[in-house]
Amino acid sequence: MGDLLSTIGTPLYYAISAIWLAWHRLFDLLPISSGWSWTLAIIGLTITIRALLIPLFVKQIKSSRNMQLIQPKVKELQKKYGHDRERLAQETMKLYKDTGTNPFASCLPLILQMPIFLSLFHLLRNAADRHPKGFLDQADVDQISGGKIFGAGISDTLTHPDNTNVVVLAVILVISMTATTFITQRQLMSKNMPADAMSGPYAQQQKLLLYVLPIVFAVGGIAFPIGLMLYWTTSNLWTMGQQFYVIRNNPAPGTPAAQAKADRDRAKAVRHGHGDVAVDTAAPAVEAPEEPRQRQQPKRQTREQRKQSSRPNQPKKDQ
Amino acid sequence: MIDPVKFVLVGLLKAYRLLISPLYGQVCRYHPSCSTYALHAVEVHGSLRGSWLAVRRVGRCHPWAAGGYDPVPAPRSSRVHTGPSH
Repeated sequence: MGDLLSTIGTPLYYAISAIWLAWHRLFDLLPISSGWSWTLAIIGLTITIRALLIPLFVKQIKSSRNMQLIQPKVKELQKKYGHDRERLAQETMKLYKDTGTNPFASCLPLILQMPIFLSLFHLLRNAADRHPKGFLDQADVDQISGGKIFGAGISDTLTHPDNTNVVVLAVILVISMTATTFITQRQLMSKNMPADAMSGPYAQQQKLLLYVLPIVFAVGGIAFPIGLMLYWTTSNLWTMGQQFYVIRNNPAPGTPAAQAKADRDRAKAVRHGHGDVAVDTAAPAVEAPEEPRQRQQPKRQTREQRKQSSRPNQPKKDQ
Repeated sequence: MIDPVKFVLVGLLKAYRLLISPLYGQVCRYHPSCSTYALHAVEVHGSLRGSWLAVRRVGRCHPWAAGGYDPVPAPRSSRVHTGPSH
């Protein structure tokens, strides 16, 4: 079993150490200590990995783009199967499949990151014992093993701390990891969930876990070396930013975030001198997700125009 | 027949669903979610075939898949004891 894992892991050790080394070479050009250079290189590695996963993210955004359009159907299903949670979930998923619109990201991004995380863990552990691994040679692991930021070794863990600085930095990092995860979850739940999904026993359980899990998370994080916690924190920050982007630009329909976006869009329309149009669009606040703002206006106006033609006493400027 | 592997797998899956899964919220493009599917598959089909089914399901769950309703298939033959183990 161990042999099998190392067979799968070896190419990953090389790949991860190569990216890490490349960033280290870059940061070595700066007048900083080697500890800082290796640390910043870990952050560079995180950014590289997350940037490589952007296509998955874009694909997910695209597949959730028509959520607004199928919203009436979702509402219909909720009315029909609201009493039966299981059936509602089945029918909603069926609808997502049939319309090619699915708001969920799948677990692939997570699964892809797990072996990378474990590889970095092994690289750091080996470096702590001065064992070369992947593309890291003896000089590299000696540097990493002795590398310090704020007086704390980057390959040190909270279970075997060298000095108090390790403890302080580890605690700060555990708090940062917890805080970023917490904020991300909270933002998702408070801004991007419809009010009816926020009630019920399921939502209650989720709310409780929202407070309990950061603690579990912190306990788990204690065993990881400083460098790995930095990777995790950076990755969490990236997730937070990514989610902020989604909630702002592709909010789930019928949520506070969707309302905020509708308000912003309306304010924008007014700013761009479509004040008269804004009065008309105020009613159908839920409009096509985003995209060609300029082209949408005339389309909407002609429809109005068509309606207005039956009421001849309100002339509208044709564009 | 006692299947200790099944016992361990069910325990691991339950721990995952309790502790790790909520960290990420709902991300699964299918119903039931991959972990529910895996738990059910192992319970109904045993550790070997159940794991195989679960691995295939996770492989199917990616941003290019349409998702949808995808329940665990029924046991192949009636001689497999399918009493609800919970």
